[in-house]
Amino acid sequence: MRKILIYELKRLLWNRFFLGILLVLLFAGWQVLSGVTLLGVAHTAPFSPWSFGDYLRRMLPLLWIGALFFLTRFTSGGAQRVAVLTDATPVPPRRYAGVRSAAALLATALLCLACLAEALGFYALYFGGEVLGGLWAPALFVLLPVLVFALGTAWRLGQKRPWLVFAWMALPLLLSALPLPAELGLWNGTLFSEYPLRLGTLDPAFSLPGQAVAMQGAFLGAGLAALALPFWVARR
Amino acid sequence: MKTMRRFCLECGRLLRSRETWAVLLLTLVSPLAGLWLYTPATGTTMLSVYLANPALAGGVIGGLLFALLTVVEMDRAHRCRADVLLDAVASPLELARVRLAALLAVAVGTTGLALLLWLPAAALRIGAVFDGADYVLAGVLFFGFSLVLCTLAAAAAYSLTQRLDLSLVLVAAFAALSLTVWSDDWQRSWLSPGGVWALSDDFSNSRLFRSVAYARLSWLAALGGVWGLAYLCIRRQGRGLLGSLARSARRLYRPALALLLVGVSAFAYAAQPFYDDSNPDLSAMTLYEQEIAEGVVCTGRTADVRPNPARGTVQGAATYSFQNTSGQARKIAFGINPGYEIRSARANGEDVPAVRTGYEESNMALVEITIPADETVELVLEYGGLPRDWNLMTVQQGDPEISAEYLCLENQTLAPYLLNVAGEGEPIPAQIEITLPAHMTALPFGAQQAEVVRENADGTVTWRYAGAGPGGILYAGDYVREDVQAGGITVQLYYSRKHEAIMRQADAAGVVEAVVEYCTAHYGALSFGAAGTLKLIQGRVRGGGYAAAGASLLDEADFTAANLADGQKGAVPGEVMLHELVHQWWGLGNMFDVETADSPWSAEGLTVYTTYRIVKELYGEEYAQENYVDKWREAVQDYSLNFYVRHPEYLTALPEAERLRIENSLSTVRLYSEMPLKILRAQELVGGEEAMDEILRGLFNREVDWNAPYLTYPEFLDACGLTEEDLDLAQDLDL
Repeated sequence: MRKILIYELKRLLWNRFFLGILLVLLFAGWQVLSGVTLLGVAHTAPFSPWSFGDYLRRMLPLLWIGALFFLTRFTSGGAQRVAVLTDATPVPPRRYAGVRSAAALLATALLCLACLAEALGFYALYFGGEVLGGLWAPALFVLLPVLVFALGTAWRLGQKRPWLVFAWMALPLLLSALPLPAELGLWNGTLFSEYPLRLGTLDPAFSLPGQAVAMQGAFLGAGLAALALPFWVARR
Repeated sequence: MKTMRRFCLECGRLLRSRETWAVLLLTLVSPLAGLWLYTPATGTTMLSVYLANPALAGGVIGGLLFALLTVVEMDRAHRCRADVLLDAVASPLELARVRLAALLAVAVGTTGLALLLWLPAAALRIGAVFDGADYVLAGVLFFGFSLVLCTLAAAAAYSLTQRLDLSLVLVAAFAALSLTVWSDDWQRSWLSPGGVWALSDDFSNSRLFRSVAYARLSWLAALGGVWGLAYLCIRRQGRGLLGSLARSARRLYRPALALLLVGVSAFAYAAQPFYDDSNPDLSAMTLYEQEIAEGVVCTGRTADVRPNPARGTVQGAATYSFQNTSGQARKIAFGINPGYEIRSARANGEDVPAVRTGYEESNMALVEITIPADETVELVLEYGGLPRDWNLMTVQQGDPEISAEYLCLENQTLAPYLLNVAGEGEPIPAQIEITLPAHMTALPFGAQQAEVVRENADGTVTWRYAGAGPGGILYAGDYVREDVQAGGITVQLYYSRKHEAIMRQADAAGVVEAVVEYCTAHYGALSFGAAGTLKLIQGRVRGGGYAAAGASLLDEADFTAANLADGQKGAVPGEVMLHELVHQWWGLGNMFDVETADSPWSAEGLTVYTTYRIVKELYGEEYAQENYVDKWREAVQDYSLNFYVRHPEYLTALPEAERLRIENSLSTVRLYSEMPLKILRAQELVGGEEAMDEILRGLFNREVDWNAPYLTYPEFLDACGLTEEDLDLAQDLDL
């Protein structure tokens, strides 16, 4: 299985698409950091977890699109035709699917790491290394549930109809333009720009409203469930 | 011929595709989103609301749809596995050209259809101020160009990557940047033009359309060049990217043309003629601290100004008379509009060099001219060019407007501004002549009146007026004048003929009368030299205004049909006008020193406070509280809590450009929000509105010491019997 994982990872990473999206991400990230994040959000420092979270949520649509494009390699019409052959191999299909999911997750994680590294480099350049710390919480909160949800749901959609994955790419763009309830404030930015102001203290420590945590938990759960569905079905 | 036939076939094929029709129809309805969903133009004029925003929204949505269509159509042959067959029939390069041309033709056709479709609705909704030329220009520049640029960008991305997924990511990221971090940058926001914040209803928009057209054409060249380079990378004969590039570039004109286009766009970006390179440090005063030319006085100046309304340029000749008692040659410093060139400089008939130092500040370029040691020197400068606006104003494009409908020439844009020589014991006497189309009225911004001195054979008219000082402002347009008697003076209200119905419906004259009567009753009568008159001139929409002795500005957005229909405001907008009228009392009737960064005291504080009081009286306490006091509090709280204000050590550690950007964004809050709040607090401490009015009346009518004529903060505090600590807002605002 390790060989298959490495092979699938190589398929995802060793091509022009990965290089292209990496360059696009880094360029867009720098523009966001120097144009928006540098001013800080909700009266907090540019290097506060809130401003960092705002940066990540601005990068989320691109990461989402990148993750879904990784999936198109497994859900496209061509890939589904090849599935006839791979299903005939002695590798259990659910383990094979699990390996592919892991490869897509790892590739997405690499994109996220590039974004995180760029932000840390930006902070170190402008404010020195001592300000770096406590940023892991917003990174986990913003990126993990949403991207697991993206991969899980898109995988299921892609298996129904390959073009649905492309339509699904527009979801974060659509949500960012809509007025949303507070629980979904991550998507249109109000969670980082407005919630800290309601805490009634200057430079509040990073904390999150219960509904937002529950919502992110729901996204994570739905994503994991969608990823685990074939295993469960196969076991039945 | 074969290419033309293939183009026609491709157009026919596109028009039989359901995807094309879906994109076309969605694009046609997309301007509706500009009415509520995407409204980048924040101006309240009718053209901003019902033309600019729909065109901009339609451009963004339609552009993205066309980008999607382009990538899908470019990928169609590959997706259907017909690319090998097609490549055997025709060159992949030719097919790419034909596909792009067909898509561009559909984009252009869609623009035409949209213009026709929305014409009746726009004309009906905009009403009397609808203008066909504005409609077509907004449609083409804001809407049509977006479709074309998106099509080009998507075609370039696909030609380069030959992958649907990567092309979509590239276009999405490029569009996202344009709509977010580049959205305020007039040159970089390629998808939707940046800085389009308002269109004028009553006057022309030629400057705005010029700068948008410039940015759009620059992007057309850039994306055309990028597509040209990507076109060379189209895979052919089984080669990869580099192999195909090497093969396609053998015909040298192809890469040469593409590189030329990229080069032209880069040059256009760097050499843009609309905005200057003024020092970003707004507190810099280098131009006003030029070494005084010892022993030199200016005894008079004249200027003959000839605007070219068709080109938006100005030509002029200015003459300065100097008395030089120093017995030495002296260096005279002038500030000119950075877009102008001094074409010739002659001192007493001899050519002298005019040295442009390269330094620009506050929309002025520093020019140094050395005059000879003669006792009397007559310096004649011929100047002209396309005036540039201050680089601060890129987010609010539209000035300086020079057209056959309207023009506004301010100080160094009217004539070179003398920086280091004063008058002979009094302001420099000036005589200005300006030649304008016959239907325009010249209005000097001040107490002086212009008169027609001759009618020229080419249908133009030359106006003349006398001024004083090194600068001056001139407005011209097709104006209507209405005289209002109030407070013992005559207010000459000038507004655009196009706006006459709205002004009468809004009872603008009544509002002016109420304001002047209020200020006169509460603070005292104005005293002007020019037979007790005050000009109130309607200017093109600019989101603010200014005042000078004897004149105040009225923004056209003060009175619009939309404002009249606003139930909350009723027929009472005009708040820019209120503010600028009040400046006749605070700022002109009483002088204030130049504001400094460490103090919020300036003429703006008392002016904003008085405007609030008038609004409260005219429109009710609730309206005034909500639109003034609450907003001041919010702004001051935001300012005080700002991270960089609380931790200036981080601000000083930033690179200078970033530091200045942040400092500039914070500076206005202290003048326009903090000081009015302090005065409001002082009002509470001294016993209420009447007591404060009495104090302000005393300050307005105080005996001025001409050695120290400025009304200072300590004087204000003394008059109130308060200390600075008494007006500390920290506790009030829970900071």
